[in-house]
Amino acid sequence: MSELRELSPGRLAWLRFRRHRLAMIAAGVLVVLYLLAMFCEFMSPYTPQQRNARAINAPPMDIRFFDAEGQFHLRPFVYDLELTINPDTWMREYEENTSIAYPIRFFARGEPYEFWGLFEADRHLFSVDPDGSGYIHWFGTDSLGRDMYSRVLYGARVSLSIGVVGVGLTLFLGVLLGGFAGYLGGMFDSAVQRMTEVLQSIPTLPLWMALSAALPAAWSPITTYFGVTIILSLFGWTTLARQVRGRFLAMREEDFVIAARLIGANDTRVIFRHMLPSFTSHIITTATLAVPAMILGETALSFLGIGLRAPVVSWGVLLQQAQNYQVIVMTPWLLLPGAFIVITVIAFNLLGDGLRDAADPYSSLREQ
Amino acid sequence: MQSLSLSVSRSQFLLSCFCLVVSFFCLVLISIFTKPTQAAEANNPANYPSAWLEPAKTASQLDITSFSQSSILEGKGLPPVEQRLPDDPPVIVPVDSIGNYGGIAHIIADDRGMFIAAEGLFTISPDLKTILPNLAESWSYNDEGDQLTVTLRKGLKWSDGHPLTTEDILFSVNDLQLNTNFMPVTLPNFIGLELHAIDSWSFVINFPDPDPFFINYVAQSPEYFLLPKHYFREYHPDYTDPNLIAERMEELGFSSWSAFMTTSMQKRLFPDLVNHPTLSSFKIESLSPGLYSYQRNPYYFKVDPSGQQLPYIDAIEAQDVRENEVAVAKASTGQLDFAGVRLPTQDIPLLKLGEQGSGIKVNIWNRLHGSDLSIQANMNYGDGQKRELFSDVRFRRALSMAINRDEMNEIIYFGRGTPRQVTVVPGSDYFEPEFATAWAQYDVEAANLLLDEIGLHDVNGDGVRELPDGSPLTLTVEYVDTETPKQVSMELVVSYWNDVGLDARQRLIDRELQYSRAISGELEMTVWHADRTTDILFPINPDFWAPRKLAASLAMWSEWSRWYLTDGNLGEEPPPEIRQLQIWADELATTMDRDRRIELGKLLLAANAENVWTIGTVGLAPQPVVTSDRLKNVVEFGLWGWDIRYTMPYHPASWYFAQ
Repeated sequence: MSELRELSPGRLAWLRFRRHRLAMIAAGVLVVLYLLAMFCEFMSPYTPQQRNARAINAPPMDIRFFDAEGQFHLRPFVYDLELTINPDTWMREYEENTSIAYPIRFFARGEPYEFWGLFEADRHLFSVDPDGSGYIHWFGTDSLGRDMYSRVLYGARVSLSIGVVGVGLTLFLGVLLGGFAGYLGGMFDSAVQRMTEVLQSIPTLPLWMALSAALPAAWSPITTYFGVTIILSLFGWTTLARQVRGRFLAMREEDFVIAARLIGANDTRVIFRHMLPSFTSHIITTATLAVPAMILGETALSFLGIGLRAPVVSWGVLLQQAQNYQVIVMTPWLLLPGAFIVITVIAFNLLGDGLRDAADPYSSLREQ
Repeated sequence: MQSLSLSVSRSQFLLSCFCLVVSFFCLVLISIFTKPTQAAEANNPANYPSAWLEPAKTASQLDITSFSQSSILEGKGLPPVEQRLPDDPPVIVPVDSIGNYGGIAHIIADDRGMFIAAEGLFTISPDLKTILPNLAESWSYNDEGDQLTVTLRKGLKWSDGHPLTTEDILFSVNDLQLNTNFMPVTLPNFIGLELHAIDSWSFVINFPDPDPFFINYVAQSPEYFLLPKHYFREYHPDYTDPNLIAERMEELGFSSWSAFMTTSMQKRLFPDLVNHPTLSSFKIESLSPGLYSYQRNPYYFKVDPSGQQLPYIDAIEAQDVRENEVAVAKASTGQLDFAGVRLPTQDIPLLKLGEQGSGIKVNIWNRLHGSDLSIQANMNYGDGQKRELFSDVRFRRALSMAINRDEMNEIIYFGRGTPRQVTVVPGSDYFEPEFATAWAQYDVEAANLLLDEIGLHDVNGDGVRELPDGSPLTLTVEYVDTETPKQVSMELVVSYWNDVGLDARQRLIDRELQYSRAISGELEMTVWHADRTTDILFPINPDFWAPRKLAASLAMWSEWSRWYLTDGNLGEEPPPEIRQLQIWADELATTMDRDRRIELGKLLLAANAENVWTIGTVGLAPQPVVTSDRLKNVVEFGLWGWDIRYTMPYHPASWYFAQ
C-alpha cells in the first residue's frame, strides 16, 4: 500500500505506457529509424549521389547465408551480379554469378564522407569489397545506378527531421498564441480565434502549393528546406492553439493559479511556470500526433515537385522521381521510400496513442 | 583401273571433307568476329529499295495506265481519280509490299510531321546526300551555279483541286519571303534572290553568289516555298484591301496578317487550318480540343506501282499529348499506330515489353544527331569574369574532359550510342574521326590541371573553385528538355563538373524564354541537340561551327552572329579567328569546287575540334520508333532527325494497315 503511494506521476505514466504493447513497438521502430537517419553517413554503404554504372535499375540483391551448394556461412554475403543487356528486349538483365561471392564486411572502409559536417571519415556500417569490384544494393538501384538503401537513409534524415523541426515550430506558435489567448481572453482571444478559423477553412494543399511556388528557385537546398518547414508549421499550429486555449480557460480559475497570481507572479510566469507544466503530457501527445502530418506534408509537396528538389534527397523527392508508369512496370523497388513513409506514420500514430493513454494513467480505471 | 579411280575418289573425298570442315570453321569465325552493328545497317542505303535512291519513275515510264482510288472517295462528287492526279504521277515503290486502302491511324499530335511527310519541290534520298525531285520534275544549275531552273510536274493540284503553278512559288517567295513587311529581316538563304516565271510550270532563280546547295534548303524546308496563292491572296495586303484583312484577322484572333501567315506556314494547329489547301498526303478535317482529325487528300499526287493513288490509309486521329510518359504508356500498350518523337531512349525496354502482347513493333532507328547534347557556354556573356572564362579555350576543354561520356553511354543509352563531340555524322564527306574524339576523353586530372592553370582555385576550402579574384563561381545551365534526353544527361554532366570542383547547377526553363534569352545573349550556359550534321544541311547551315545565325540552338556566340547578320551595325566584331570561321562558312556554301568545299568543311570542323566551341556528349543514339504490328511498309532501320525531316526519305504515304 505504501509502495503504491510513492510512485511518481512519471513512473505511473511509464507503467501505463508499457502496457500499450503496440506503442512500445512503434517507439522501438521510431528509435531505429531516427538512429538510422541521424547516422546515415555511417549506416549507409554508399553516398546518395554515388553512381554505379554497372548496376543501372538493378533489382534488390539477396543477402545470403547459404551459398549455391547449400553451405552455411556465418558471415553474410552477396553474389556478384552480371549485367547483360538483352539484345531483343533491351532489358538490363542481372544474373547472379555464384562463383564470385562478396562477403559483407562490417565497419569497412568505403566512400569518404563528412560526418555531420564535422570531420572526415570513411567507415561504413557494412559494405562489400572496398576496392570496388563488388557492390551491395539490397534495396536495388535507380536509373542512374544510385543505391536506394543509402538514398532512403539520407532521405530519412531530411523527412524525419522536417517532422520534428516543423512540430517544434508548431508547438512554439501553438502554445504561445493559444496560451495567451486562453489566459488573456478578450480582444486578443477573439483575434486568434478568427485567425485560426480562417486558416483552418483554407484547403491546405493549394495553400502550401501557392506558398511553395513563391519560394525562390535560386534558394540553396538548405534554405528551401527551412522554407518548406516554416510553410508547413505556419498552418499546423491552429489545432494545438485551440487545445491549449481550452485548457487555459479551464485552468485560469483553478486555486493554484489564483494563488500564484495573488502572490504577485506576472502573466508570463503564471503561464509558463504554473499552468503549462500541468499539461505538458497533453502537449507531448498532440505534438507526437502532429509529426506524421508534417512528414506527409513534406512528402506531398516534394512529390508535386514544389517542395524540396534534387539533389536534396528526401522521401518525397525519391517518390517524385518514381512517379511514373515506367517505375511501376519496370522498377517497382523505387517505390520503397513509400513503405518507409507508411511505417513511420503508423508508428507515430501508435506512439501518440500510447502516450495519450500514458498521459492520463487513471483513464483505464475509469473506462473499466 | 577401278581401284585407282576408287582411291582417287577417296582422296578427293577426304580432301573435300577437309575443305568443307575448314571452310565451315572459317565461316563460324567470320560470323563471330564480324558482328554487324545496327548503326552500320541503318546507314547502309542498300537496305532500302533502289528506287528510293534515284528520281521516282513516273507512271508512263512504268506503263501504268489505269489508276484506282480509296473506296471512301467514291460518291463524294469528286472528279475521277485520273483527273485529280497529275498528268504523269510519280510512282512510289513501297519497301515491302503493295498495300491496300483503309484504316484510321492513331498517333499523337507531335508525330503528325513524321506520319505526314512534308511535300516540297524536292525530296531527300535515304543516302543522306542526294536531293531528288518531288513536286518538281527536274532542275538544272548553270555552270557558274548562280542560276537555277526548276520545272514542276504538270497537273499538280492543291487539296481543293486548284492547280499548283509557278504563281504559288512566286507568291511564297516574292510576296512573302522577300517582302520586308512580312520578313523585316530576310532569311539568309533568300538574300539577293531573284525569281522569275518562265511559264506556268517552270521558273528561274538567280542568286547573287553561286548557291549549289539551295536545292538542299528547298528540300529540307519546303514550307517557305509553297503557299497556295489562291487562298492566301485574300490575306495579303498587296492583293486585298488592308481594312478587309484587318477585319478577318480580328475574327481569327491574329494581331496581323503576317502573324497569321507565319502560323499557317508552320502548320501550327489553329481552327482556320481546316480551310487551308495542302499538298501533303493528309488534310486536316477538324480540330477539337485535344483531338485533330485528318482525312486523305483526294488530290495527292503519288501512286503505287499498281496504280493506286496514295496514301493507303484513309484517316488519322492525332491526340494532343504533351507528356513523354503518357506517350510512352500509350505507345507501349498499343494505343498508337505510330509513335516516335516523344519516346525517350531510356524507355526502350518498357516499349519492348509491350511487344509481347500489345500488338506493337518497336523499331530501333538511329538519331542522326552528331551529339544528343550541344552544351554551350556563352562566349559573349555579359562583360565580367564569366565572359573571360567562357572565352578561354582551356576552360571549355576542361569542361569537356571532365565529362565521363562512356558512363553516360552506359547509363542513358544502354551502351548503344557513340561518345562524341559536336561534329558531322561518320558517313559525311566532311568527317574525320578525330573531330569526334578531340578533347572527349574522360580525364579528371587533366581537367583539374587546366582549371588550376586558369586560376580557378578553391580559396576558402569548401571544395568548390572560386574565380581568380576569390569571388564565388556558379555555372547555371538553363535549357529546355526536348527531343533528346537532356535532363538526365545534364544531371550526370553537372555531377561530373561538381567532381572537378565546379559549382554547376541546371534549371529547366520555358521554351519561349530560352529562345528569347538565347538570341539576346542573356543565357549563361544552355543545351541543345546537334542536328544539321549530315551533308544535307551541314554545307548550308554549319551553325555549330561558325557564328552566322541567331537561334535558340546557338547561344554561345549571339553577338558575333548579330554582327555578321547586320553587316557590322549591331553586335560585336568577332576576333580574327572567329571572323575566319564566318568567311570559311560563306565560301563553303558558295564554292562550286567540290574539293575546296570539303577542305573548307573540314577546316570548320577542325577548328571546333581544337577550340570546343560547343561540348558534345553522346551521339548517333538509338531512337525507338513504335508502330502497330498491322502497320506495314515502315522501314525497320532509319535515321531520325531534322536534317531529313525525320521520315521524309522513307515515304510514309506508302504505309498501310494489313487486313
